[in-house]
Amino acid sequence: MNRIFILTPLIVLLIICIFSLVYLLSGKDPNKPPSALLNKDVPIFESSSLYNAMDIIKTKDIENKKILINFFASWCSPCKIEHPLFFEIRKKYPELYLLGFNHKDPPSDAKKYLEDDGNPYDFVGVDSDGLIALEFGVFGLPETYLINEDGKIIYKFMGPITKDILKNEIEPLL
Amino acid sequence: MSSLVGFLSLVFAIGINFYLLLSRYIFKFQKQKFNLFIRLSSLLTLLSFFSLMYAYVVSDFSNYNVFQNSHSNKPLIYKISGTWGNHEGSMLLWLSILSIFSFFFSFTKNIDESFQRLTLIIQSLLHILFGLFIVFTSNPFLVNSILVNEGLGLNPILQDPGLAVHPPILYGGYVGYSIVFSIAIAGLFQNTDDEWLYVAKKWSLISWTFLTGGIALGSYWAYYELGWGGWWFWDPVENISLMPWIAGIALVHSLMMVRGEQAIKKWIVFLSILCFSLSVFGTFLVRSGILTSVHSFAADASRGIFILLIFFIVTGFGFLVFLLKEPKKSNALNLLFINKVSALVINNILMIIATLTILLGTIYPIIIEVLYNKRISVGGPYFNSTVIPIMIPGFLLMSVAPILSWQTNKINNSKKYVLAFIILSVLVLIQSYFLDFNTWGFVGLLLGFWIILASIIAIFSSYIIKFNIKFFKIINPHVAHIGVGIAIIGITCSSVFQNELDFNLNEGDKFNVNGKTVLFEKIETTNEINFQSLRGKFLFDIEKNQSKEIEAGKNYYPVSKMITSEAGILHQWNKDIYFILGDQKNNEWFVKVLINPFVSFIWLGVIIMVYSGLMAVSRR
Repeated sequence: MNRIFILTPLIVLLIICIFSLVYLLSGKDPNKPPSALLNKDVPIFESSSLYNAMDIIKTKDIENKKILINFFASWCSPCKIEHPLFFEIRKKYPELYLLGFNHKDPPSDAKKYLEDDGNPYDFVGVDSDGLIALEFGVFGLPETYLINEDGKIIYKFMGPITKDILKNEIEPLL
Repeated sequence: MSSLVGFLSLVFAIGINFYLLLSRYIFKFQKQKFNLFIRLSSLLTLLSFFSLMYAYVVSDFSNYNVFQNSHSNKPLIYKISGTWGNHEGSMLLWLSILSIFSFFFSFTKNIDESFQRLTLIIQSLLHILFGLFIVFTSNPFLVNSILVNEGLGLNPILQDPGLAVHPPILYGGYVGYSIVFSIAIAGLFQNTDDEWLYVAKKWSLISWTFLTGGIALGSYWAYYELGWGGWWFWDPVENISLMPWIAGIALVHSLMMVRGEQAIKKWIVFLSILCFSLSVFGTFLVRSGILTSVHSFAADASRGIFILLIFFIVTGFGFLVFLLKEPKKSNALNLLFINKVSALVINNILMIIATLTILLGTIYPIIIEVLYNKRISVGGPYFNSTVIPIMIPGFLLMSVAPILSWQTNKINNSKKYVLAFIILSVLVLIQSYFLDFNTWGFVGLLLGFWIILASIIAIFSSYIIKFNIKFFKIINPHVAHIGVGIAIIGITCSSVFQNELDFNLNEGDKFNVNGKTVLFEKIETTNEINFQSLRGKFLFDIEKNQSKEIEAGKNYYPVSKMITSEAGILHQWNKDIYFILGDQKNNEWFVKVLINPFVSFIWLGVIIMVYSGLMAVSRR
C-alpha cells in the first residue's frame, strides 16, 4: 500500500512526460491551433465584390468546385509576403477558384494594394466588419482555407503560407 | 571577443563540474580543494554571464543574440535587462543563479563534510545538464554571420523597470529549490541523522522568499503594463510560478514543524523534490513554447525535447531515490484532533491538492490536444472555482495554527478567539449588508480580518511585548500570517468589488468618476528615444486646487512594430483609479476607468511576507 503511494509521483511523471513528448513530436505549433471547422461544411456567408457592390458571392455560388479562400488586408504586412505565392498557384492550378476576403480595410486602400502587388484572386469579397472572418474562426491575418468539392474545409493555415507549406501541405490536397 | 570569453568560460565551468562528478569515484579530493573547484566553476559561469551582459551594454552586434534582441538606442537599464530578456540569455541566467547557490552553499559551516560534498555533486550534475542544454540548443554566444550596425530591438513589452528585475528574482526562487532538492537527495543517500533538515530549512526559506517577491513583481507588472486592470490572469506562466510557491509553503511549514517524525520527513523529501521538479517543469513549459502566453519566446521543438529530458531525468532520479531509500525510522506521528502536527498535516494535504489542481488545469490543454486534436483553454473560471475553495480551510487554520499545542487539543485563551470570531463575523456581515452583498466578498473579508485579528490576539496574549529584534523574531510566524491576511483583503476587494466605467469622450470633456469630476484635458503625442508615445491627459478632481494629473495611453515601438498600452493609475491608500485609453472612433476617444479598491493591500501583504521570510532566514 505504502509503496503504491510512493510510486504515484513516478507514474504521474511518466504520464506528463509521455503526453508532452507526443505533443512536441507531433510537430504541433501553438501558433497553429487545430480548427474546429476542419472537415466541416463551409460557413454560410454573403459578400459583395470589392469592385462592384452589386456583385454578390454566396456560399451557394461556390458549390462543386475546389476553392482556396484567403483572408488578407492592405495593413497586414505578412499578407504582402505570401501574396506572390498566389500568382504561382494561379498559374499552376488554373482550375482552382481563388477567393480573397478583404478584412477590415478601407476599399480604397485595398484597391491600391491589389493594384500595386497585383490581383491573383478570382473574386475579392469585402469583409469590412470582420463578420465573415468571425464565421470562419479567423485568429489573425493572413489565414488560408482549402475547400473541397463537397463544400468541406479540408485545410487551414494561420499566418503567411510559404513555398514549403505550399509544396508539402497544400499541393498534395489539390 | 567578449562572446569568446563567455563561451569558453561556460564550457570550462561545465568541464569542472564533470571533473567533480567523477572525482567522487576516481580522485580523492581534500575538502578545501573540492570546494575551491566548486567556487571556480561558479565564478566562471558568472564570468560567462557578465561577458554576455557586457556585449549587451556595448551593443556588440557581432554577437547574434545581441543583434536579435538589442538596439543601440535603448536606455542602458534595458540593455542590461536585455541580457535575460530572451530565451538564451535567460537560460544562462538560470545557470548562473544555480552557480551562485552552489557557491554560497560551499561556505556552509558546521555540517558533515561528506554530506556537503554529496549535495554539491548533485548540484554539479544539474549544472552539467543545464550547461549542455545551453551549449547545444541555446547558445547565446553565436557569432553573427553578417556585419551589422544596428540590432533588431527588444520586445517592447519587456521594456519596463519592474520586468527588468522580475526574472532574476523569480529565478532566485526557482533555482533556489535546486539546492533544497540536492540537500534532500543527499540526506536520503547518507541517511545518518536529521542534520540536513536544518540546512534545508534555511535554503527553502530563501527560495520561497525570492519566489514570493518574483511572483509579486510579475503580477504588479501585469497590473500596470498589460492594461487590463487585473493583476492575476491564471496565465499558464503565472500558474507555473504558483505551483512551486504553494508546494513551497507546505515545505517551509513542514521543515519548521518537524520533530523527527518519520512521516513528516517523508513529506519533506517529497516536497523538496516536488518543488524543484515543478520549477524545472515550468522552465520546460515556458521554454518549449508548448503553451502560448505573454512570456513565451520563440518555440523550438529540439529545445523542448532537451528540457523535457532534463525534467524527466531530474524528477525521475529524485523520486526513484525517494522510492528506494526511505528516511530512517524514528518518532511516530503525534496526531490529535487539533494540535500542531494535525494542523500541519491538514495544511500539507490542502497545499498538495491545490498544487495538483493547478497542475491539472495547466497541462489539461496539452492532454486534450494530443488525444482529440482540439485546442481548449483553461482559464480563470476553472481556477477560481477550484483552487480558492481548496485553500479556504487552510486560511481558516492558519489564523490559530501558530498557537496550537504540540501535545494536547487545548487552545490557550480559546474563549477569546471564539468571541473575537463572532464579533468579527457580525461586523463583516453588517458591512456586507450595506454594500452589495456578495458571498465571495463576505468570505474573503471575514477570512482576511480573522487571520489578522487572531494573529494579533495571539501576539498580545502569548508574549510579553518588547521592541527588540528577538521579540520580532519570536512573533515572526504571526507577522507572516498577518501579511497573508492583508493580502487576502486586498485580493478580495480588488476582484469582487471592482467597478468599471466606460466613456466616449472628446478632448476637453468633463466626466464623473466616483463622485469626483475629471477633465479629459488633451491628447499628446511625443517622440521618445526608441518609441512614440500617445498620451491622454486627465485632471482628476478639478474642483479642488490640488487636482491630480493622470496620463494613460499607448507606446508605439517602430523597430519591432509593436504597440503597448500604458495604463494611468492614481494610487490612493484605499483604492486605485485605473485609466485605460482605448481607440479613437468618430473623433471620440474610448476611455475605460476601473476603480480597484484596496489593491495596495496586496502589495503591502506581500512586502510583509517577504520581510518575514527574510527574518526567518536570519533566525538561528
